[in-house]
Amino acid sequence: MRRAKVIGVVTKGSLVEGVEMKLAPDQSVEDVKAGKFVVIEGEKNEFFSMITDIRLDATSSDILVHPPDGDGLMKDVLKGTSTYATVCLRPMLMLRKGGRSSTELRPVKSVPAHFSRVREAKEEDVGRVFGSEEMGPQYFQIGTPLDMETPVCLNLDRFIERSNGIFGKTGTGKTFLTRLVLSGLIRQGKAVTLVFDMHNEYGYSAMKESSEGARGFVKGLKQLFGNKVALFSLDPESTRARGVNPDHEVYISYDQVQVEDIAILQDELRLNPTAIESAHLLYAMYRRHWLRELLSKDGDEVKELAEQVGAHKESLAALHRKLKRFEHFPFMVHILREGDAIDRMMEYIDRGIHIVLEFGRQTSMLAYLLVANIIARRIHEKYVEKSEKYFATQRPEDEPRQLVLVLEEAHKFLNPVAAKQTAFGQIAREMRKYYVSLLVIDQRPSGIDEEVMSQIGTKIVALLNDERDIQAVLTGVSNSSGLRSVLASLDSKQQVLVLGHAVPMPVVVRTRDYDEKFYREVTRTQVAEDLEKEIEILYGERG
Amino acid sequence: MAEVVESSTTVFTAQCWELHNSPPFGSLVRVDSDPPVFGVVSDVATRSIEPGRRPIAYGIPEEQLREEQPQIFELLRTEFEAVIVGYEDSPYIRQFLPPHPPRIHSFVRPCSKDEVRTFTGQWDFLRMLLSAPRVPTDELIIAAVRSAFEAWDRDRNYLVRAGKELSRLLKNDYERLGSLVRRISQ
Repeated sequence: MRRAKVIGVVTKGSLVEGVEMKLAPDQSVEDVKAGKFVVIEGEKNEFFSMITDIRLDATSSDILVHPPDGDGLMKDVLKGTSTYATVCLRPMLMLRKGGRSSTELRPVKSVPAHFSRVREAKEEDVGRVFGSEEMGPQYFQIGTPLDMETPVCLNLDRFIERSNGIFGKTGTGKTFLTRLVLSGLIRQGKAVTLVFDMHNEYGYSAMKESSEGARGFVKGLKQLFGNKVALFSLDPESTRARGVNPDHEVYISYDQVQVEDIAILQDELRLNPTAIESAHLLYAMYRRHWLRELLSKDGDEVKELAEQVGAHKESLAALHRKLKRFEHFPFMVHILREGDAIDRMMEYIDRGIHIVLEFGRQTSMLAYLLVANIIARRIHEKYVEKSEKYFATQRPEDEPRQLVLVLEEAHKFLNPVAAKQTAFGQIAREMRKYYVSLLVIDQRPSGIDEEVMSQIGTKIVALLNDERDIQAVLTGVSNSSGLRSVLASLDSKQQVLVLGHAVPMPVVVRTRDYDEKFYREVTRTQVAEDLEKEIEILYGERG
Repeated sequence: MAEVVESSTTVFTAQCWELHNSPPFGSLVRVDSDPPVFGVVSDVATRSIEPGRRPIAYGIPEEQLREEQPQIFELLRTEFEAVIVGYEDSPYIRQFLPPHPPRIHSFVRPCSKDEVRTFTGQWDFLRMLLSAPRVPTDELIIAAVRSAFEAWDRDRNYLVRAGKELSRLLKNDYERLGSLVRRISQ
């Protein structure tokens, strides 16, 4: 076993502000990186910590006023003794010395003694804290800590217990991360996922963005997991053009649109509140046919309709004008010929098949908001029904499958105004009570309602620059001050800070490559499973 | 090479057997007494053996003078003073004052390279030099470190370690440290 390098000793510390370490004189300050995972060896406990800040210090201000010039020897004499580096550490977890298993990990309730040695984390430390894939199917390798090769694992069981978020500014690889996490979830198979795939990036091959300018394509979930994933499409033509037949085409009838679905489009359609009220009046009269009724009218008929229901003429006219845009959507139909796509989705979900809903060329925000909200609302209703039934019967076979809704541009649904109206807001707030949780993907977490943010269990955060976004992501995280600098100093690619419910402590991770090796690894167990099933079918279950 | 003629707890004076044959300023010497004592040469002087009689200037080169008047060299003696910086408490080297001062008439000799290396592997002698009374402290330290540096085969790391030790001893006196380090490394 490689002996871990001692990089310094603890000199100062407080439970609230974290611990300070004097860097050992033989260590170069430039090798110390924010976000690195280190271990403090206290007298009785080991403290698993993260480097949050690095500072240059000098014993005397004279040195700083008259820096040694040119004279190499003087610089070397001062280095590490009179001029030294102080490294701020944030202890995250403590473990009794000699403790082996991750179950003994406890939150930090003390600080290490003076002059406790601080060393780089060893591979076994990472394993002890984050578990490893060998320890069970719930562990899914997401990447490696900075400057290390040992995998860091997400505990997927804990991951699906809450709603989760993937954040980062544009171009930091959110989509790749999401694909990675989804692959993990699909492989484990405990939860079912429904992906609202606005940019057609998850189902079938997607463009790879590469810093070297070499573009290429990577495999989608359908390619990796075959019949474990179903492809639904709002724009079958576009899906076919990319060389794949969707498993199901999705159409939405006008009768499926409710007033709440319009309400969240207020911003997008620039509707004023009276327009929504008019819609409510229409609904009162025509019930679920209200939209069809409204759009069937033209010109003066709209005014007559307004009189009929008692709405303000101009505002109803405005509503009419704006909702006319729905008629351009090819997926909006009067009658559902092939049955209700949402019922089909539920069937798939019940069978444990993951769904990717492609929007094809329907990439307008309006279409996305409308469809995602309608589907989420319906599915949520069905899940509430199922869960209530399970609570009543308490029969294990009635227990609904945990569902994860994957949502891009989440702030559109979860901003402080919309979060109160959309099904997504409700799902995020009531958490897993009804077996539905969210995986929100967003580049502007500050736009998401604070209440929703505080319910997010695990956050996977790539680089964020905006102070407000950083603030928003760290809402509800204790001792967040140190993490702030870590977040702002992430690389723009393949580096993320993972914190929250699914990892025992926050950790900066270099994410796994999404490449051939990854494909092989995530599908390998699946091949084995399939074989096992076939063996079972052929020879019966092995006792 | 020399013989102790005056001795106290902190310093001793030795008379060289040959004129002008003193160990260099700042070098480490060893008194073979019980216990063997180490000192750093802090002052070297050559004078007349009779305090009342000073040599006279003759205005001719030393070689010629030695031929013409050899007797006057018999009247001169070279003596050196050494600050006591430790003693041998076999098998250890102690860098604090010995229980007894060196005995008068004990022989004094320069330390071998190995002895210097063994002794200067520890650093407490620097503090003893720094607090020695009536010596040109900084000059003595410069000379002592430089002579140890030679024994360490001019290993730069040795100078760095010495510098770090001095910076600790001098606390916040950055100016003085700078001057010491600069001159040591010249």
